[in-house]
Amino acid sequence: MYRSAAKRLLPYSYFSVKHCLQTSRLPITTPRLRFRFLSSTTSDSPFPNGFNTNTNTTTSSSSTQTDEFHNPSDSGASRRTPPRANYEEEQARVLAASLLHVARLGWTEAAMIAGARDVGVSPSIVGAFSQKEGALVEYFMDECLKKLIDAIDSGELQLQDLVPSERIAKLVRYRLELQAPYISKWPQALSIQAQPSNFTTSFKQRAMLVDEFWHAVSDEGNGVDWYLKRTVLGGIYSTTEIYMLTDNSPDFNDTWVFLNERVRDAFDLKKTFQEVKYFAEAVGAGVGGSFQGFMKKGC
Amino acid sequence: MAFRVVGRRLLRSKLLPMFTPASTLHSHATSFGFKEVNEEEKSQLVGNVFTKVASNYDIMNDLMSGGLHRLWKDRLVSKLSPFPGMKHLDVAGGTGDVAFRILETINSVNRRAIEDTLEDDLQRETQIYVCDINPNMLDVGKKRAQQRGLGDQGSLIWVEGDAEKLNFEDDSMDGYTIAFGIRNVTHIEKVLAEAYRILKKGGRFLCLELSHVEAPVFKQLYDYYSFSVIPVVGELVAGDRDSYQYLVESVRRFPPQEVFASMIADAGFQKVEYENLVGGVVAIHSGVKF
Repeated sequence: MYRSAAKRLLPYSYFSVKHCLQTSRLPITTPRLRFRFLSSTTSDSPFPNGFNTNTNTTTSSSSTQTDEFHNPSDSGASRRTPPRANYEEEQARVLAASLLHVARLGWTEAAMIAGARDVGVSPSIVGAFSQKEGALVEYFMDECLKKLIDAIDSGELQLQDLVPSERIAKLVRYRLELQAPYISKWPQALSIQAQPSNFTTSFKQRAMLVDEFWHAVSDEGNGVDWYLKRTVLGGIYSTTEIYMLTDNSPDFNDTWVFLNERVRDAFDLKKTFQEVKYFAEAVGAGVGGSFQGFMKKGC
Repeated sequence: MAFRVVGRRLLRSKLLPMFTPASTLHSHATSFGFKEVNEEEKSQLVGNVFTKVASNYDIMNDLMSGGLHRLWKDRLVSKLSPFPGMKHLDVAGGTGDVAFRILETINSVNRRAIEDTLEDDLQRETQIYVCDINPNMLDVGKKRAQQRGLGDQGSLIWVEGDAEKLNFEDDSMDGYTIAFGIRNVTHIEKVLAEAYRILKKGGRFLCLELSHVEAPVFKQLYDYYSFSVIPVVGELVAGDRDSYQYLVESVRRFPPQEVFASMIADAGFQKVEYENLVGGVVAIHSGVKF
């Protein structure tokens, strides 16, 4: 985890942040850079116990890099900077512990209170989280994205042997499997994400997720095509996510069948579009030809 | 109004030490409303004020704020998000307004919905300490607790004590609230340091206090209301003009939102935030200890 975050951060830490600030509202023709911004911002926060690292050197170098970047702007406030990081750290620790209680208590304050007790922090801290339950769901989404990126980077998914449609199906499946343990409480998480106060964050997180899917398929489209592809994939991901909620088949087999069909549909649709385009060109040429012929006759 | 404050500030910072060198050797001058008094005197004067107003405290709060103080306190408690098993200290909360709200939130159906036997045990561990320097205010609170049927639950503990020297152990509380109280203390820094000391890691500090209004027209209206209406109402209803004159003056002497926020941060708290209510008539400051 640290490895990938640091790798992404090191060569681009300055450029990517600057770039993102400037172009966040423009059509993103260089989505890779935008994504690097995400990893550089989240790389400071700690990870749940599952993520042990043995490459501490890269981590420290990445953090010094960030410090260098920040120093000129807030050297005056440097006295207050370390505590703030500390708070973020504690919040992440509490949220990581809270996830263990979600299956029983749901995405609730009660789960976060239990989580805080587990890590020896006063449950009072839950009141300081800006979005309450929203913070927990947001944290979970971020963690899942990190796991997905790690899986892609480590080659664990063996994507290189697959054709694009299979790659997408595999990636979406891997991501959805990460939330399988929470499936009974996932409708609640969806409703939390849909609340107006959380919606911007959750929408952004989903957009990043879809971005990451397409990167892994090595798709570097641009313009309208870029948006279209992401919208379609976003649709596939969301419908499959909903389908999964009511799927009682062992290991969610029905869900994966459903997913494969939707991906196939999408790729068929792409073909259909091309066919329509060719057909339209042919018709255009035909009509144009006969029109020209008509005009000639008229003369 | 602004000139008066500036004038007073100059007086305090420059002139006063020249005229009264002897007194500054032993104690520092502090403010009691717009008056300059010795530190020892201030606590006594504040004590007198609250002894006088204790009996009419609630009715005056309702009259002066138009009932809004109830909503402000509700907001404070909702920001605190109390939980079963909480150990909480409410300072300067003699009449129990904030403490009752916290207890009721914890007891509410909302929490009960979670069918968990553990919760019930925790419920019994809930302890809310109400600390006030003034025994008269505490008596009002105790009486109201009896009326509300909260008196014999054992969750409310009434303590007479000084916010600058709390009688609690380090790292013993989950939450600390002070509503309309910190303005009356002699050393705000000491109170903040004490709050920091007694809170557990992750514990939260919340302060509800009358603060400064900046919006142009509203500010003039508010000043007129404060200086012309409140003392008169105080005289008519409570028969005590001076105490309410002190009240509005002390609000003007209290540090503005940003300054107070930085004082909280200096005491060691993190994630220091504040929220203005009614355009800054009151502000809720909060911080987390780590």
